[in-house]
Amino acid sequence: MVDETKKKEILEKLKNGVIQYDEDACREGAQEAVDLGMDANEAIFEGLVAGMEEVGRLFEAQEYFVPEILMCADALYAGLDILKPHCQQMDLGIKGSVVIGTVEGDVHDIGKNLVKMMFDVAGFTVYDLGRDVPLDKFVEEQLRTDSDLVCLSAMMTTSMVGMPKVIEKIKEKNPECLIMIGGAPTSKELADKWGADGYAQDASNALKEAIKMVAFLRKLREEKLKK
Amino acid sequence: MESSALKEYLKSKGATLVGVGDVSRALTDEIIHLNRGIAIAVNRSLNRTTVDLLSRLQELTVEWLKERGARALAIPPDSDRITDTFVSRLYKLFSHKTAATCSGLGWVGKNGLVINRKYGSKLTWATVLTDAPLQADLPTTHSECGDCDLCVKHCPSGAIRGRVWSSGDPLREMVAYEKCRSLKNDRLLLKGKPNCGLCVTICPYSRNGRKKVEPCGVCVGS
Repeated sequence: MVDETKKKEILEKLKNGVIQYDEDACREGAQEAVDLGMDANEAIFEGLVAGMEEVGRLFEAQEYFVPEILMCADALYAGLDILKPHCQQMDLGIKGSVVIGTVEGDVHDIGKNLVKMMFDVAGFTVYDLGRDVPLDKFVEEQLRTDSDLVCLSAMMTTSMVGMPKVIEKIKEKNPECLIMIGGAPTSKELADKWGADGYAQDASNALKEAIKMVAFLRKLREEKLKK
Repeated sequence: MESSALKEYLKSKGATLVGVGDVSRALTDEIIHLNRGIAIAVNRSLNRTTVDLLSRLQELTVEWLKERGARALAIPPDSDRITDTFVSRLYKLFSHKTAATCSGLGWVGKNGLVINRKYGSKLTWATVLTDAPLQADLPTTHSECGDCDLCVKHCPSGAIRGRVWSSGDPLREMVAYEKCRSLKNDRLLLKGKPNCGLCVTICPYSRNGRKKVEPCGVCVGS
């Protein structure tokens, strides 16, 4: 039986490690969790992700800027690397796989990488196509992997124009597939117009959306556990 | 905020040079709020010890700033960059040369490297960007290479263009880097080591002002 006080302490350590972008603390906390035989999923979601949620709030409140966010993400990954091998496959009742990439002509992928991270954490299988991805590659990859979610990112108006083409092609071949778009020039209106299912405006909103998604998954998971 | 305390502190821990520059004009959106660049240099032998010392100095700087409630972003030495982290994506947004010249520690020489009056190019640099309102040093605005063109003449790959830097034109390409790189690649294949560094050792500033070059079988004629 895992000691409750000790467990709380470790979760707190993981959470604060992420918030204070302290990679060593995250590594240490993760190792302690493993040594103690704690549930790795719990350590990830109640510790690391809980910390990242707070980071999202700090970012919104403009307490944190881009460099802090990235350092927090690095700290989260430091802990995740240790915990992931000890994770039981999470059964969320949905098939979690996602194709993600920055569209052709665009090399800005900080936002994309943050969103990718949250999917990673949530236990999704992530097919990351990287940046400057040819439009057809998204369609091909979706068909190849049969992913139920495709995330398109762009930071420039000039590259954004490729998005509706991808959406159309994917929807034509596989109407079930959900598509989320994001990046500075995109908008809710454009997402609706182009037939995308989800939208995030920029790095902060993408992060918020991703956090919302993960929080939602967490809730699902908790409800499942109660049953 | 006085910057002398930080400078003294870092020098006591082994830094050769420390400068604080106003770097606002060189910042992109992601880091626009971090308008002070702290340039830290260690007189090298470029080996593990130098790089470890610089990393340590950087950590100390970040701690020092955090304790005073300021934000900090450490840009590690070029030779010690882990590239698979999130924060490493920001490193290339800012060059050590900008911090060094903005804090008056040197100019960009014809050899494309920061040249300090006392130590020449034999320095390894690290930068910490911060929003702490540190008093900034006077920037270097002009090259002091003068008509010296030893590095231009002796560069084995002929990569050095002989251009003169000024802070008004900081992005001017001083060196044909593809030539420099291809020479280093060739050497790597030939000797297992890419080392060249002739543009560092030949510079009179790196050799305490000695202008005369002793002929040597390796560099002359190549």
